[in-house]
Amino acid sequence: MTVSTISGAVASPRRRMPRRIDIMSHAAGILVALLFLAPIAWAVLATFKSRSEAAQPPLPPWPTEGISLDNFRTLENFGAGILHHTLNSLIVAIATTALTILVSVLAGYGFSRYRFPLKGFFFVLVLATMMVPFQSILTPLFLILAELKLQNTLVGLVLIYVTLQLPFSVFMMRNAFDAVPPEIAEAARIDGVTGLRLLIHVLGPLVMPGIVSVGLIAFLNAWNEFLAALVLLTSQDNYTLPVLLTAVRAGHYGSIDWGAVQAGVTIMMIPCLILFLALQRHYIRGLTAGAVK
Amino acid sequence: MSYATLFGGLFLAAAAVTSQAGAETISLWARSDDSTFMPKLVDAFNKSHETRVELQIVPVNELVQKYAIASAGGSAPDALSLDLIYTPAFASSGQLEDLTDLAKSLPYFSSLSPAHLSVGTFEGKIYGMPFSADASVLLWNKDLFKKAGLDPEKGPTTWAEIRADAEKVRALGADTYGYYFSGNCGGCNIFTFTPLIWASGGDIFSDGGKKATLDTPQMRDAIAFYQGMVKDRFVPAGARTDTGTNFFAAFATGKIGITPSGSFAIGALNGQYPNLHYGVTYLPGKTGGTSSFAGGDNFVVSKGTKKLGAIKEFLEYAYSLEGQTLLARNGSLPVRGDIAKQALADLDARYLIAADAMAKGRTPYSVVFNDLINSANGPWNTTLSKVLFADAGAIEPSLKEGDAAMQSIIDAAR
Amino acid sequence: MTANRDIVPSRRRPRRQWIGLLYIAPAIALVVAFFAVPLVMTAWMSLHNWPLIGRRRWIGFGNYLTLWNDHGFWNALQFTVFYTIAATIGLLAVGLALALFVERPRPGVNLYRTAFFLPVVVGFASASLLWAWLSNVDSGLFSPLAQLLGLTAAPYDLNADFTPAFWSVTLMVVWKMSGFYMVILMSGLQAVPADYHEAARIDGATWLQRFRYITLPLIRRPLALALILAVTGSMLAFDQFYIILAGGPQNQTVTAVYWIFNQSFVSFRLGYGAALSMVLLGILLILSLVQLRLLRSGEDGR
Repeated sequence: MTVSTISGAVASPRRRMPRRIDIMSHAAGILVALLFLAPIAWAVLATFKSRSEAAQPPLPPWPTEGISLDNFRTLENFGAGILHHTLNSLIVAIATTALTILVSVLAGYGFSRYRFPLKGFFFVLVLATMMVPFQSILTPLFLILAELKLQNTLVGLVLIYVTLQLPFSVFMMRNAFDAVPPEIAEAARIDGVTGLRLLIHVLGPLVMPGIVSVGLIAFLNAWNEFLAALVLLTSQDNYTLPVLLTAVRAGHYGSIDWGAVQAGVTIMMIPCLILFLALQRHYIRGLTAGAVK
Repeated sequence: MSYATLFGGLFLAAAAVTSQAGAETISLWARSDDSTFMPKLVDAFNKSHETRVELQIVPVNELVQKYAIASAGGSAPDALSLDLIYTPAFASSGQLEDLTDLAKSLPYFSSLSPAHLSVGTFEGKIYGMPFSADASVLLWNKDLFKKAGLDPEKGPTTWAEIRADAEKVRALGADTYGYYFSGNCGGCNIFTFTPLIWASGGDIFSDGGKKATLDTPQMRDAIAFYQGMVKDRFVPAGARTDTGTNFFAAFATGKIGITPSGSFAIGALNGQYPNLHYGVTYLPGKTGGTSSFAGGDNFVVSKGTKKLGAIKEFLEYAYSLEGQTLLARNGSLPVRGDIAKQALADLDARYLIAADAMAKGRTPYSVVFNDLINSANGPWNTTLSKVLFADAGAIEPSLKEGDAAMQSIIDAAR
Repeated sequence: MTANRDIVPSRRRPRRQWIGLLYIAPAIALVVAFFAVPLVMTAWMSLHNWPLIGRRRWIGFGNYLTLWNDHGFWNALQFTVFYTIAATIGLLAVGLALALFVERPRPGVNLYRTAFFLPVVVGFASASLLWAWLSNVDSGLFSPLAQLLGLTAAPYDLNADFTPAFWSVTLMVVWKMSGFYMVILMSGLQAVPADYHEAARIDGATWLQRFRYITLPLIRRPLALALILAVTGSMLAFDQFYIILAGGPQNQTVTAVYWIFNQSFVSFRLGYGAALSMVLLGILLILSLVQLRLLRSGEDGR
C-alpha cells in the first residue's frame, strides 16, 4: 500500500445509508446522547438554585424560585480565590499535557520501531506504573520530591502526573506507530528521511489522533487530580482547583452542601469541554493531513 | 562604594534579620470544618501581634494522611487543630509535644473544657489543649410543631415525648417526617446517639476505653426507640443509607420535625436558612436527664518545635475574651467556661443551651477511636446500621457480635 | 506484524538497535524516579510494623503472614474481581458501540461525540458525588423519577441493598468512562483503511462479517489497551464505593483498595497497607501479563 491509496481511501465518498436506517440511527443516537447528558444537565441546573431549593429533590431540574448565585459565592470564600487556583490548575495541566506528549511519543516510537535489549522488561515496567494503588506510594513520593528539592512545587507535581500518564500514553503511542503501514516509513527512508526527522515530518502527522487522545486524557487527569496535589503541596497558594473543591464539599460529619458541589463540578468541567470541542476536528484532520503528506 | 556604606548596609541587614527573628512565624493546620472561624481568628491575631500564624485549611478527610506524610518528610506544621477524638491516638504515638507545663501556667486552666482535656491527656500528661467546641443537641422545627398542634416553644425532654411529637409531625403529610438521623454514619451517631445512652446511665466503653460495653440494657432500649420510629416511618427512607451527606441538609429542608445535631448547625441555619424557625434543646435520656457529646478540636503541637513561646502567645489570644467571642460568633462554642457567657452575650440565646450542654458534655476515650467508631466499616457503624433498620429480634445477637468485634480491635491495639 | 517491522531497521543497521533505548530513556527515567524507587520503598515499609504516625519496628515478613489470614482482604478482593468483570464488560461493550457509532464523519457526529465524552471530563470524585446526590432517595432524582414513571409506589432506596446499589455504581462508571474507551477505540477504528471495508462490501460481506473479520482484528491493539486499562482501573476501584456507598450495605462493597486505605489511614497501619499493596500489585501484574500474552498469541496466529 502506498501513501496515495491512503489519501484516496479517506477522501473516497462514503456510501449513502438508506434514509430510514439513517433516521432510526439518529433517533437512537439522540436518545443515548440525552441519557449521557442528563446527569450533567441536572448538576449544572442545580448550580443556579438557591440554597433551600438545592436541598429539595431536583424535579423539575431547573430553578423555580429564581436564579441564584449563592453556590458560586460559597466557592469564592475558600482559599486564595477561584482565579488564583484555576491558574495553578491550568499551569499544571498544560505542562503535564506537553511533557506527556513529548515523552510518550518518543517512547512509543522507540518501542514500536526499534529492537533493543530488555525491551519487554521496560515495557512492562512502564505499564506496571498503573498497577499500584496510588495511596500506598504517596509517602515515598513525598520523600523523593523532598530529596530532589521539588517538594511543594508545581514542577514536582507535573513530573508525577506525567509518570502516572505514561502507561496509557506509551501504550497508546506504540499502537499508533505500529498501525502506520510500514511502507510509508520505507518510502521515506528511501528518500533519506530517517530518525527524528522521520518521526516529526512523516510519522508525526500520521499518529495525530493518538497524540490528541494522549494529550486530552493527560490534561483531564491532571486537571481533576486532587490527592497528590493536596498531600504533596504544602503551601495553600500552590493548591490546584480540585483541592479547593474538596475543602468546600467537606462539611461537618461528612454533610455535603450539594449546591456548592454542583457549582464546583460545573466550573471544573468548562475548560475540559472547551478543550474537547477544540480538539475534535484534529482527530479527523490529523488523519487526513497525514495521508495527504 | 565605600567600606563605610558597605558595612553600614551589612549592619542594617543584620538588624533587619534580628528583628525578623523576633517576629516568629508558626505554621498551623486546621480541618476544613473549622473554615468558618479559623481564618478569622488567625487574621485578627496577625493584625494585633508581631508573631505570625500561617494557616492552612486541609480537607477533613485527608488531614491525618497529610499530616502523617508531612511529618515523615520532616515538614510537619508547628501546630495542628485536631479533631479531639484523635488526640489519644496521636499522643500515644509519641508524635506530640508535652504541653502540661504550658497548660498549668494559664491562670484560667481550671475553667478550660474538661471533656477536651480528658481526651487531651495521655498517661498523665497533657498533649491537647481545648481549642474549638461543638456540642450535640436536639433541634426541632417550630413551624411544623405549630402546624401539628404542638407547643412550638417546648422541645421534647424524654424519648417518649420525642416519639409522640414525631408522630404528630409525621401526620402532617406524605413528605413531612417526624425524625431524622444519618443511619450509615458512625461519626454522626457517636455524636448524637451515644448521649441518649449516657443520659440514661449507660456507656459504650468502660475502664478507660479498654473494654467495649456495647451490649447493655440502655443501648438495647435506645436502639428499640430508634428502630420503632424507623418501622413506623417517622424517619425518611434515605436515613438508612445516609453516610452523613444529609446530616445537616435534611433538617434544613424544613420537612423534618426533630433531629439530633450539633451546635455548628445554629450558625449554619441562621446564616443559610434564615426563614427556618427552630428550637434547640438537650439530648434527653429515656425518662429524663440530659447529655451531650463534647466535640470540636484540640490544639496539639508537633514534637520538637522550638516555637513554644509563640504558640503560647497564640493560644492565650484564642483564650482571651476577644478570641472566645470571635470563635463564638463564627460557629464554635467557647472552650473557657468562666467567660463563656460573656463571649456569647450578644448572640442568639440558643447558643447558651448548646454551651451548657457542652460544659456537661462527655467525650469517649480510645486510642483506636477511628477504627472502632468513625470508620464506615468499623464495628460501631456496621452494628448500628444493621440493628436500627432490622427486626427487633436481630438486636441482641447483632449487639453481641458488635461488642466482640470492638473488643478484638481494642485488644489488638494493646 | 510487530516482529516484521522491528526486524526491518535492525537487519539493515544493527547498531541502530541501541538508539531505541535513547528514545525510551525519558520515559524510563520518570518511571524509575517516580514509580520504581517509591515501589522499592513501599516494599521496605511492608517489612515493618510502620504506624501512620510514630515509631516503626522491623518485623520481617510478619505483615505477609497476617495477610494470609486476613479474611477481610480476601473478601474485598473477591468482590473487586466480581466488580471488575461487570465493569469491564460494560465499559468495552458500550465504548465499542459508541466508537462504531461516531467513527466516520456524518451530519451531527461531533455533537454525538461531545455528548458521549462529556461525562469523562468530570473528575471521578465529582462524578461519584454527583451520583451520590442523584441516587439519594430523599434529595436525589432517581427515586422521585421512578415514582413519577409509576415504577414504584413508595420511595425506593437504591443504596439499601447490595444488588441495586452495586449495579447503580457500575452504571455510573459505565456512564462516566465509556466515552474514554470510545476515544481510544475510535482512534484505532480510524486507522483501519476504509477501502478494506469497501472491498469487502463489494465482495458481499455483511456488516457483522466485516466487523468480525476486518474491524476486530485491526483494532486488536487498541482493544487490548482498553481491556488492560479497564481491568486495572476496576481492580483499583475505590472512590465510587467510598463516596457513594461507604462500602455498604453491611461492608459488602468494600474493594481491595478500600481495604488497603482503611488499614493504612483509618487503622493507621501503614506497613500492613504497604504489604497489601505489594500483593495487589503482584496480582495485577500477572493479570496484565496474561492479557498481553493472549494478545500476542492472537497476533501470531493471524
